[in-house]
Amino acid sequence: MSELTLNDAVAPSARKMTEAAPLRVLIWRRFLRHRLAVVAIVVLGLVIASAVLAPLSRYEPTQQNPANALQPPSPQHWFGTDDLGRDVFTRTLYGGRISLTVGLSATLLSLLIGVLVGMVAGYFGGFADNALMRITDGFLTLPTLFVLILIAALLREIPALGLTSSVLIVIFVIAVLSWMWPARIVRGEFLRLKHRDFVLAAENVGAGHSRIMSRHILPNTVSLIIVQGTLLVAYAIITESGLSYLGFGVQPPTPSWGNLLATAQTYALRAPWLMIFPGLMIFITSMAINYIGDGLRDAFDPYSAR
Amino acid sequence: MRTYFLRRLLHAIPLLFVLSIVLFLVVRSAPGGPLAQAERNPNITAEQREQLRARLGLDQPLHVQYITWISSVAQGDLGRSIKTNRPVAEMIGERVLNTLLLVGTAFILTVLIAIPLGALSALRQYSWFDYLVTTFSFAGQSAPVYWLGLVAILIFYVWLDNPFTGGPLLPAGGMYTLGAPKTLADLIWHMILPVAVLCSTWVAWYSRFFRASMLETLNADYVRTAIAKGLSRRRVVYGHAGRNAVIPLITMIALDLPSVFAGALFIETIFSWPGMGRLFWEAARGRDYPVLMAIIMINAVLIILANLIADMLYARLDPRVRYE
Amino acid sequence: MKLNLPNTTHRRRIAITFILLVMAALIMAACGAPSAAPATGDASAPSQVVVIIPEEPASLNQYHAVAAIVRQVADAVSAPLAAPNAQGEFVPVLAAELPTVANGGVSEDYLTVTWKLRPDLKWSDGEPITSDDIKFTWEAVSNPASGNVLSLGFEKIASIETPDELTAVITYSELNQAYLQQFMYGILPRHATGAPEEMLQWAWNRNPVSGGPYVVTEWNAGESIVMDRNPYYYLEGQPYIDRVIFTIVPDPGAQMAMMAQGEAHVQLWPGEVKEVYDAQMNGMAALQEIPGQWNMTLFFNLSRPFDDDPGAEPPHPILGDLRVRQAIAHAIDYETIVTAVNPGVIETATPFAYGWYQCDQERKYPYDPEAAKALLEEAGWVEGPDGIRVAQGAAYAEDGTRLRVQLNGYTNFQQLVKLEEALAEMFKAVGIETTIQNDDFSIIFGSFDDGAPRQLGNFDILVYDTSLPMEPHASIANTYMSTAIPTADNPAGGNASRWVNARADELIRAAGATVDLDARRAAYCELSDLIATELPRLNLYLFTEGYGASNRLSGYEVNMWGSLSWDIQNWRLD
Repeated sequence: MSELTLNDAVAPSARKMTEAAPLRVLIWRRFLRHRLAVVAIVVLGLVIASAVLAPLSRYEPTQQNPANALQPPSPQHWFGTDDLGRDVFTRTLYGGRISLTVGLSATLLSLLIGVLVGMVAGYFGGFADNALMRITDGFLTLPTLFVLILIAALLREIPALGLTSSVLIVIFVIAVLSWMWPARIVRGEFLRLKHRDFVLAAENVGAGHSRIMSRHILPNTVSLIIVQGTLLVAYAIITESGLSYLGFGVQPPTPSWGNLLATAQTYALRAPWLMIFPGLMIFITSMAINYIGDGLRDAFDPYSAR
Repeated sequence: MRTYFLRRLLHAIPLLFVLSIVLFLVVRSAPGGPLAQAERNPNITAEQREQLRARLGLDQPLHVQYITWISSVAQGDLGRSIKTNRPVAEMIGERVLNTLLLVGTAFILTVLIAIPLGALSALRQYSWFDYLVTTFSFAGQSAPVYWLGLVAILIFYVWLDNPFTGGPLLPAGGMYTLGAPKTLADLIWHMILPVAVLCSTWVAWYSRFFRASMLETLNADYVRTAIAKGLSRRRVVYGHAGRNAVIPLITMIALDLPSVFAGALFIETIFSWPGMGRLFWEAARGRDYPVLMAIIMINAVLIILANLIADMLYARLDPRVRYE
Repeated sequence: MKLNLPNTTHRRRIAITFILLVMAALIMAACGAPSAAPATGDASAPSQVVVIIPEEPASLNQYHAVAAIVRQVADAVSAPLAAPNAQGEFVPVLAAELPTVANGGVSEDYLTVTWKLRPDLKWSDGEPITSDDIKFTWEAVSNPASGNVLSLGFEKIASIETPDELTAVITYSELNQAYLQQFMYGILPRHATGAPEEMLQWAWNRNPVSGGPYVVTEWNAGESIVMDRNPYYYLEGQPYIDRVIFTIVPDPGAQMAMMAQGEAHVQLWPGEVKEVYDAQMNGMAALQEIPGQWNMTLFFNLSRPFDDDPGAEPPHPILGDLRVRQAIAHAIDYETIVTAVNPGVIETATPFAYGWYQCDQERKYPYDPEAAKALLEEAGWVEGPDGIRVAQGAAYAEDGTRLRVQLNGYTNFQQLVKLEEALAEMFKAVGIETTIQNDDFSIIFGSFDDGAPRQLGNFDILVYDTSLPMEPHASIANTYMSTAIPTADNPAGGNASRWVNARADELIRAAGATVDLDARRAAYCELSDLIATELPRLNLYLFTEGYGASNRLSGYEVNMWGSLSWDIQNWRLD
């Protein structure tokens, strides 16, 4: 996280905001004023807690009882049972672990690649910019399915990955398919900021390129990156479910919200609860993340009317 | 600036060439092959499968296959599908209009709905209307589209009835009622659900995006100055702020236009719409390489063009942007 | 550069006009909808049956159709001389009678077969169907440039004589055991097709001049194939249904909804067991099923995976030991699988589960978890702290190796996933850890050069369904012979388990050298016993085959040897 204090106040976005309190405190105060965002934080906290506390459930996520398949919600099985008689509530909680892991890891990876590419392209401009941006364009043309199959084939050769490999594949795929957006945004910001006074000043005192990029310009783009990051988390969770629908998501029996939902499609008429609960979890989580992103955007926005 | 774009247009040609190699390699080095269905057919012997491979030229080294393919593409021949033996161009031709109809309609509706929605919610920031629009747009982004599609089918096809006929309120899919004459009314009736589901996601993105850029321009110095100078709020909003806020939106539209060709796989699958998304997916699942490569390359050309157009529009509309 | 946006009032006018247009369209649609909906219950209205198919057939020419979907649709327009009925017996269709030795249709040496057509047969364009069309079919299909890939024995035909319009005398250069099957995929009209070497591109392939009950009226790419009755069909008054529409609906949820609402009458391959399917249909439709050809099987890899050697050696660290395979067989609760996991499927312990070569095979290693544990202990796999076993003196695995196997199946098939998940739990109960990896269809069934794990030997246990044709020898030889192990030199080999067994080779050679069906069957059944003992594979159950059918539909019969549309001329709608 950025170490934005009064020392960096020459930066344009910071200049108008800082009076006495450190910027972080100010941003936090502004965020708290966005009531829905605060509610969203609580909701997301509950979702995360439910995923973390999943082992407290009285069922195992893979514990089967085929004789008791497709039961509607009841006091024994709050969300009903699935086609092998497993407790859908337990599986939804465990599914949350996978889906949230996928969402966060894919986002971090995507941001890492995107920010690096965007920084270099925007800061150096010229040939580097041209080359990197054309590569970015190229990535936009990649057919999703084949990226997925290739990555799966590559990771398959590493048997040590074993159990979790399908989760890893999904994370890699989502990152490979999404880093272009943060890259474009960061590049735009770097293009915009690199001729500003505070950068020139840093250059004059002899700061190196990497220092200017990471210590002077990057902190000014953090707000945008964070906002973009929240959106990416929601995107990743939804993409994971899309991959499952196509048959390329997290492999069974490990539950994820996506594969729970995809499996439930066939039972929509007979057992709608199978698709409703995981669907709602995705929906609620994504809503909460979006609201948090909205709150952060407002909090970072110097013109915010709040 | 004109030379800049001419140069980029020229650069696009080697880029496409390199891309064609990369995409060919990506598609061909992924495991799996087009003869899996033959493998499953008990009446086809192993020997015949190998003959089939030879006939399709799949036994040639990869670079030979690439050269064969690219030289026929350079002559304007996209080849024939492995699966159907029909010209690829013909197969794409059958589907592209359907996709244009579905995705294009949804796209136009999205823009028409999202601009006023985004503008109003920016102008009335933090009003109940703004909260409503925000909530709606977050909701639209938060549900997997295939889930939304199936829920829509459950509600409007399975659960709700048409009060006049007692039949389902809306059809489950397809373009026309089966066995009935093809009428415009019937077509529109079939488009309601898929277009609505598509729009719900897109309007969400677009209104949100436009709200943000509207807010940014409303807070920009020149707008504040204009208001301070006593210009009417209406004139400032529509004349200055609106116009500038539209710029990024237009570039975003340009960037999204290739999807009108590529189609919408999930929607087309759920609603049995015979569009490009499904053609591509079926070709991908069956490794129908000629169809696959044709769609991928057309799409690549469109994406590169769209990027170029977006940058060009940006440069034309926003005087602050300079390209050397 | 200025952006010339229209002024606001103008824009508003555009917006209002647009909204009005949309509203008008919606009203039109709402009014149009009722009239567009198919009329029901009206006796005078033409009858219409809607058949849901999950994918589009590439062509209706069965001679270059590799995908199973083609025959399901094409039988409605094709003209076989004879075809198998639901009991697996050949019955004459366009032929006046089946050629046999008794009626003189087949010579004593089985090398001459005489087909006689029914009199006064006509193609759907009114032209007569003659013996010359039979001859043309042979000419076209046996042409190497025709693109035919099915092995139907056309290459064994030396000549066809047509002494009169109704008689075709076929002379074989070598024995074709499946001579009745020869024209099962229909004869081709010489006058309405084209040159044999252009067969792949015939317009006929998608709009055939038909000798079957229906003709194609409309083919809407990716959406539907509309067929109307063939006015020249040979059976008086048939087909009973005026119009059949094959509609392509890829999503299983949408398919179910259309069946449950009564909009569609037949749903091909629901991929769902009867119990669950019927419950979803609420009495509107039911799954009609019979024991099918598809045999769900576990294929053990006896060779080490990922060693860049597709051959048989060195042995698989875990599955190379017979005792481990036996333990796996003992660990499976077959009863639960066929009654609760996928209720309705039919348990079988042999690959030869139907047809004239059917074998009664006992399970050598029935469900017995205690025996499984004992075998694993004996094989040097001892229980670790988390219940999963680790190697300690195992035959091929280093000490400390976890007893972990991967089940490898294909995607988008819910029954298969359920089976894998159930197996994983059963394996866990005896201390075997299981992962599941389901790949794309075209990966699992890809070829050697496509990098298919099955051909390269990069798997532990494959799980999928296989089938055998009515004449199974070529397939059996390419599956169990030690010479059929896939390698770079033999990329099409089908011995995925890498099983090397001298006795098996001997039995298969013996069966291939005789025409005596009883002797062949005896050899196959001994092979079956060997397979059940040595466990290169473990047969689990036969799928049921069939389709969901509306309760308004009658007259159909599910046929494991035929397609969905084999008896479409007999269907009736109430």
